[in-house]
Amino acid sequence: MASTLAPGDEPGVTSPARRRGHRRRPVPPENRLTWRIRLRRDRTLILMTLPAIGLLVVFTYLPMLGIVTAFQFYDPLVGIADSEWIGLENFERLFGDPLFWGALENTLYLSAVQLVLYFPIPIMLALLLNSVLNERVRAVIQAVTFLPHFFSWVLVVTIFQQMFGGAGLLNQFLRDHGMGTWDLMTDPDTFALLVTSQVVWKDAGWGIIVFLAALTAINQNLYEAAAVDGAGRWRRMWHVTLPGMRGIIVLMLVLRLGNALSVGFEQLLIQRAGVGHDAADVLDTFAYYYGIGTQDYGYGAAAGIFKSVISLLLLWGANALAHRFGEDGLYRS
Amino acid sequence: MNVEPSRRSLLNGAAALAGAAALSPLLVACGGGGSGNQGGTSSEQGLASALPDHVPSDAVTPDIAPVEGAAGAISPPGFLRYPTERVRTVPEVPGSGGTYTTLTPLWGAVPPADNEHYRAMNEALGATLEMAPSAGANYGTVLPTLTAAERLPDWVQLPGWLNAQASTGRLVGTQLADLTPYLAGDRIRQYPNLAALPTGAWRGGIWQDKLYGIPVHSGTFTLGGMFYHRRDIFEERGIDANEVRSADDLFALGEELTDARAGVWAFEELWPFIDLIFPIEAKFRVVDGRLVHRYEQPEFIEALDWCRRIVDAGLLHPDALTGSHNDDASKARFYAGQSLITADGGGSWNGADADAGRAANPGYRRGCFMPFSADGTSEPRLPLMWTASWYSYLNIKLRPEQIEECLRIANYLAAPYGSQEYTRITFGVEGTHWTEGPDGPRYTEQGTIEAQPGTYVFLANPIAVVSNLGYPQITEDFCAWAAEAVRYAYKPVFWNMNITVPRRLATADAAQAVEDTISEVSRGIQPVSAFQEALGTWKRNGGDELVGWYETEVLDKLGTGQE
Repeated sequence: MASTLAPGDEPGVTSPARRRGHRRRPVPPENRLTWRIRLRRDRTLILMTLPAIGLLVVFTYLPMLGIVTAFQFYDPLVGIADSEWIGLENFERLFGDPLFWGALENTLYLSAVQLVLYFPIPIMLALLLNSVLNERVRAVIQAVTFLPHFFSWVLVVTIFQQMFGGAGLLNQFLRDHGMGTWDLMTDPDTFALLVTSQVVWKDAGWGIIVFLAALTAINQNLYEAAAVDGAGRWRRMWHVTLPGMRGIIVLMLVLRLGNALSVGFEQLLIQRAGVGHDAADVLDTFAYYYGIGTQDYGYGAAAGIFKSVISLLLLWGANALAHRFGEDGLYRS
Repeated sequence: MNVEPSRRSLLNGAAALAGAAALSPLLVACGGGGSGNQGGTSSEQGLASALPDHVPSDAVTPDIAPVEGAAGAISPPGFLRYPTERVRTVPEVPGSGGTYTTLTPLWGAVPPADNEHYRAMNEALGATLEMAPSAGANYGTVLPTLTAAERLPDWVQLPGWLNAQASTGRLVGTQLADLTPYLAGDRIRQYPNLAALPTGAWRGGIWQDKLYGIPVHSGTFTLGGMFYHRRDIFEERGIDANEVRSADDLFALGEELTDARAGVWAFEELWPFIDLIFPIEAKFRVVDGRLVHRYEQPEFIEALDWCRRIVDAGLLHPDALTGSHNDDASKARFYAGQSLITADGGGSWNGADADAGRAANPGYRRGCFMPFSADGTSEPRLPLMWTASWYSYLNIKLRPEQIEECLRIANYLAAPYGSQEYTRITFGVEGTHWTEGPDGPRYTEQGTIEAQPGTYVFLANPIAVVSNLGYPQITEDFCAWAAEAVRYAYKPVFWNMNITVPRRLATADAAQAVEDTISEVSRGIQPVSAFQEALGTWKRNGGDELVGWYETEVLDKLGTGQE
């Protein structure tokens, strides 16, 4: 992580030629080494990554072979090898299915709402927390905001139900005072807000960790210098803090976009009954209910592949955009 | 009935958690028949030659005699206390030293492996049954992985309502053993306890003219559920539940009972059991020799609209809208008196229910509405579930002598209520797992851990009886209700018939999108027109074809199964 936090700071590899934007640059010295020498030099590091790569191969890449079922009338009893091949029929059905388009629309909508309403919150929280000088107060705030991250979605939804449900605290209060009630938990129109506020409540505290780390990496001398030059609180934040965090903010944004189509499977699964499939179905739950649930595995796989392809494009696009703006993104160009 | 969890609530639990697509627990079977994808069912002659003889058992005499009702339904016998004279029905040790792996579902805490109860059972059986109870809520997702890898255990429970998920219709004959040569006709007489199981129950174990399944939890008056109320609160408020004679009455009562400011709502979700009052037929109704699907029966929309009105009028507990039907939270609300009327399975009216209810409210008493019809004038009609909705199967890899050994063990496990064998299976070893109480065996602490979670019952067990040791009142109430209600029983179309739908129609059969919409309309999220729209789409995308298939392949060839 350190290398992404402070690009160009690692010893040994810094050279003006590595600045971004240079299309043609001299080959860095390490590339002149033969692979054999590099292997010997890096063997400890390579050995350390092997278990992770092994896990990735066994649990991610091998199962990925199952995507061929998207082109089959897949029958688990017959197996992948003997299932009937039907070409693109699953995709044809998928693109002709209004439920699928509804799920896609919901996915993009929820994702957009969460991007706008959720993404900035951990950054703001991190800035706020950073300005708290008292260590104990800071620790308490951090602990309190972290805690909900460890709650299961069932618990989070139950708490929301107890607060905002038709028989919850809010509505009983309204009833006691002779006012109209509003069951937030079963209102399809405001479902996106409900889901986003749950995400904020649960994960905003957890999300600040990485931004706090970025904040501590900022050279304190810069603040002092700025203060000496007469910069106030806001100017210091604008000219020192935010530029110092820019790299990590962009990285998180890129990762977020790559994950944009995964807007919370479990959270939506639990609340689907309350607001209905029109409001709550996203691509993941669609694949689950109309693929796995009806044993239409090939169909579900087709929906899954569609999601993966779009995600990959988003990731690639966001990363390219980051590079264009002179940031590292996922890797250095 | 005392040991039977509510099938519908299990179904709903499965649907919510595992996404089970079963539209009806009764008839849906996914996948093609046999090797091909054609689908099918059994023929008359095939059935006749595969069915075992029925030899009723008179080993024990109940305190409350069964009552014969309509459509061959018989209300269950009641026992106010456990029989003191415990007859022995299996004179010889059934096993011959074999070892068999098993797989059964269990709702509740799994007993420790290799416990004293299992060891004592193995000794009594003369064979080793390796019990491996698996969490009931996930059972439907465990099965496909085992069947796909052809790694089913020697003896496995495949509930009828999971037939679609487990593809039972295609496992028979390929992975599951044909029991016809061992049990058909008079051959069952060497297993008298199995022969005492009702014929209808065996019918549900027959697939494509051959007998595969051993019925479990069979009963001659099996209902999906009933409409319950808080009898203690009703009596306190001077409400006579028997005065409810129509859907309008029930609605009006709901308005009277609901007091949202006090946190009390009249209803839990009623929709899943709405067939009990509205004359909708389980999957099909025969009109002029043609099938009318449940969705297209006129009463269906009427019932849907009625449930919707309950929500609109604010009579349904708001938390019921976000939960799944009869989940734990729903039961807790009923116990706490936050909701007063609920629809639940017959298995929820027992001693354990009374314990749980009294813990929340010392005066707790569950009551059941007498059957009534929505319009208030026509005769009530109660659709029978299958005679048995659970079946255990033997692995095809077993050798004939192993199958015979397993059947002898099944015969032991099916020993009637109150027998020596039943006592051993249900309560364990005297002194270790139970001691003699005033009304019968009482579990010791070890007994509640090792013997009380019923594991063997999912392999084979006797026909259901009503018995709530220590709660004779519940047994009396239940039997009195059943004796009256049994007069209104009817057999739905294709009753006790295993039908395998061709794979290409399986998606239409599951009708996930329509089912989703129906549930949403009944909960007031969508208008009734949304259902009509979803229905139109379904009909075009295979629904009509599906109904046509049932007509030509099942109805025209084999009839309705109602005789």
